[in-house]
Amino acid sequence: MRLLNTFLGLFLSTLVAAQQQADTLGSRTMDEVVVTATRTPRLMGNLAIPVNIISSKTLYQSGSLRLHDILAEQTGINIIENFGKGVQVQGLSSEYTLILIDGEPLIGRTGGVLDLSRISVRNIRKIEIVKGPSSSLYGSEAMGGVINIITDRAGQNKSDVSLRYARFNTLDGGFNFSRKMDKTDWLASFNYNRSSGYSLKPNAQQQTVEPFWRSVQQVSIGHQFNEKWKAGASLRRNLSQIDNTIVVQNQGASILSKGYERNEEYNFTPYLNYQASPQLKTVLRAYLTGFDARQELSVKNVVGNYDDRFRQSFHRLENQTDWQIRKQSAFTIGAGNILETVASNRYDSLSTKRSNNISYLFLQHEETISPKLMLVAGFRYDANKAYASVGSPKLALQYRYNDNLSFNLSYGRGFKAPDFRQLYLNFTNLAAGAYSVFGSEVAVGELSRLQSQGLIEQVSALASRLSALKPEISGGWNGGLKYKSGKNLLVTLNLFRNDLRNMILTDIIAIKKNGGQIYSYFNLKEALTQGLEFNADKQFKQLSIRVGYQFLHTADKEVTDAIRSGKIFARSLETGLANRMKLSEYGGLPNRSRHTANIKLGYETPKEQFLTLRAIYRSRWGTFDADGNGLINRDDEYASGYVQVNVSAGFPIGKRLKWMMGIDNLFNYKDIINLPGNPGRNGYMDLQFTF
Amino acid sequence: MRSTRIIGGMFLAMAMFQACEKNETTQPQSTLVQKTIANIPADTIVGLVNGQPVGAGKYTFYSLESNSLVASSDSNSLKWDIGMRGTAIITNGGNSGPGAGGAFVYVGTFDELKTIPADSVFRKDNAPVSYAIPLGSNKGWYVYNPITTLITPVPGRVLVIKTASGKYAKVEILNYYKGGVTPDATASDADKLTKQRYYTFRYSYQGNGSTSFQ
Repeated sequence: MRLLNTFLGLFLSTLVAAQQQADTLGSRTMDEVVVTATRTPRLMGNLAIPVNIISSKTLYQSGSLRLHDILAEQTGINIIENFGKGVQVQGLSSEYTLILIDGEPLIGRTGGVLDLSRISVRNIRKIEIVKGPSSSLYGSEAMGGVINIITDRAGQNKSDVSLRYARFNTLDGGFNFSRKMDKTDWLASFNYNRSSGYSLKPNAQQQTVEPFWRSVQQVSIGHQFNEKWKAGASLRRNLSQIDNTIVVQNQGASILSKGYERNEEYNFTPYLNYQASPQLKTVLRAYLTGFDARQELSVKNVVGNYDDRFRQSFHRLENQTDWQIRKQSAFTIGAGNILETVASNRYDSLSTKRSNNISYLFLQHEETISPKLMLVAGFRYDANKAYASVGSPKLALQYRYNDNLSFNLSYGRGFKAPDFRQLYLNFTNLAAGAYSVFGSEVAVGELSRLQSQGLIEQVSALASRLSALKPEISGGWNGGLKYKSGKNLLVTLNLFRNDLRNMILTDIIAIKKNGGQIYSYFNLKEALTQGLEFNADKQFKQLSIRVGYQFLHTADKEVTDAIRSGKIFARSLETGLANRMKLSEYGGLPNRSRHTANIKLGYETPKEQFLTLRAIYRSRWGTFDADGNGLINRDDEYASGYVQVNVSAGFPIGKRLKWMMGIDNLFNYKDIINLPGNPGRNGYMDLQFTF
Repeated sequence: MRSTRIIGGMFLAMAMFQACEKNETTQPQSTLVQKTIANIPADTIVGLVNGQPVGAGKYTFYSLESNSLVASSDSNSLKWDIGMRGTAIITNGGNSGPGAGGAFVYVGTFDELKTIPADSVFRKDNAPVSYAIPLGSNKGWYVYNPITTLITPVPGRVLVIKTASGKYAKVEILNYYKGGVTPDATASDADKLTKQRYYTFRYSYQGNGSTSFQ
């Protein structure tokens, strides 16, 4: 985020520069500047909520190319393969986690999932991960957490070119060109990534991952007019195309059809900063982003090609003012307006544009009550046109017991707005059972239309409850401690609990005369996720050891109640007979692993020669129901747990050239069914030239 | 505690004894038959029509009373109690057969159902509009998983059957695939299709006409 520069002022920039030279891990982490937690630059050690930072050095040394590569190695984060690679934070799925790029939200989700492989982590300065609800600052989707990808800074007078070759004909290359000319900061970056894909099932007609290419282009400019005024803009474009080969069953014959899937995304962020005084600054920024997904398939000898189009736009204008009232008090106020539109032939037709308008206001106050006690209170109100309005409070406390030990406690509310699919979907499947799904905003109209045509057999009792959907809400507690010993040891512990309500599910509103069921969306489900996250980082001279562990427990509250009252049955794997299910048999929400852990060893000489070894463990997770009760309870309903080991090594050649190589998934762990996105062992070589 | 239980047990035994004495004339001795039947084909798939799997379209008839298969030529007789075709199960009554049969789906475990509750309502087949044992996923005895495309008996569903001759039986469907083994979720479509429509079930049949399964 280039506006940061101004925010920080000269003082903080020199501070940051000084920290980047500090080589010890404890001090490095605690003194890192974080912007995502409070929307203002704050030192990591002063934050009252759990935050993790991934530095550009970690990104480079881990050999990560795409966002899911690096997130998969972080404690408490799981990558779930469903409509691409989605993130799971504190047991909450991708739709409840906000992904920001330079502080602005990415759009273009499929089934609620934002595919992380869309995002290149080349030309990234750092990634900040805030756990727990942050809707008090960011609004919708910030329930499980916020992941902010901060791209390279403009005006660094540093440029590089990189090239990588990896298995499956994977080529990744690009440049990053950053210059400071007088009072103007420039940055231009480009990344291109291609692969021939791979096939996990031999002799299959379609590959597991089809050939694809992706490209990211970014230009940023910032100009400092004088001490008070700065303006700038950033334009980013992200393109990707993947071949699509699908075997279509038609009249009993399987027909190979060819096509492609193409995603185009752009983000434009102009801003204007005004530093009224050292204590008062304000920024006006706009954010215009669009996402256009297209899928085309041509099927031989079949009339009518398949064409799926989804176009989304998100335009926002926002003002944020930060006021340092006194040394111990800081106040932030912001307000904005969002106009969101979607047009898709999944809903009705491309010419029908659905839109939603959101106005919001947020406030935050930080107060250092005593040298030991710090408090942050925040509140945001989102007023919407298309669904019920929502207020999101947050309160966080930090207590410093001494220089080494501090305790944190926070409570926040998060929400997720109903998406366009839940509001406007108008879908009838003529092939499979003639069922229909109607979004909540169109359901009443569609139902009465079908009734007047005499096509409805029976209307369910739920139909009378059709009303405007409410946002899904979570209440999240986080509490823990940070312990720092000298400069070489950092231990963090965080206990969390998220209670979710108003979760949106589909249910039957009517049955058609032809037997087809009609579904719509309701705020029905309540769930909880809770657990513990532990991280320990220890630095010995040239060796660093990082250990992380998360324990996670999740449950659908209605299911828990039903099990307690003896209403749920299970079929024993051994006897094949049904019995009443015990609470201890309930495996919680699908796709959740009870235990996840990682160990990362790093070795680095003063000459920047390095070696890393990272092992990531994930215990079994529920995948599907096998005994007919719709729940995860039996041993055969889980995917098996696994360990993945990644290694990398590198060294500089001369002053300008850096060479590295690595092997991901060294022991070639594969699970064709549950981890189709894991191709097995994958080696790569990487060259980077800095000038 | 232990003594109270014994005394309580004694009271119960006495009460039961008295009850037995009272009903001795009307309630004959229990003639409960309990069986597990494996691998009964029920209109197994013979081919594809318009891409949809089809069988020969005939019901497989079964007599719970005599514990045997009944020829389809006897469909219009009192010889059979239940008939199976794909996931559909009919009873010998209503418009499905000439008998006094009917059924309802009891929610609970097989062993827990010791006596048919007095307020139970036996439904009759009224094909094709409605059936005593409702058709469809999660409506009667099974659930269809669209992701794995497998059919699984819902645990905790017991089919309470009134036989052709008006006797009572309880049936728990255990499996819907050949050999009583559901194919893996990852099995091929062909495997899932050719192995389906084979019933494995257990049942208790009370031959004395009472609603007790003890």
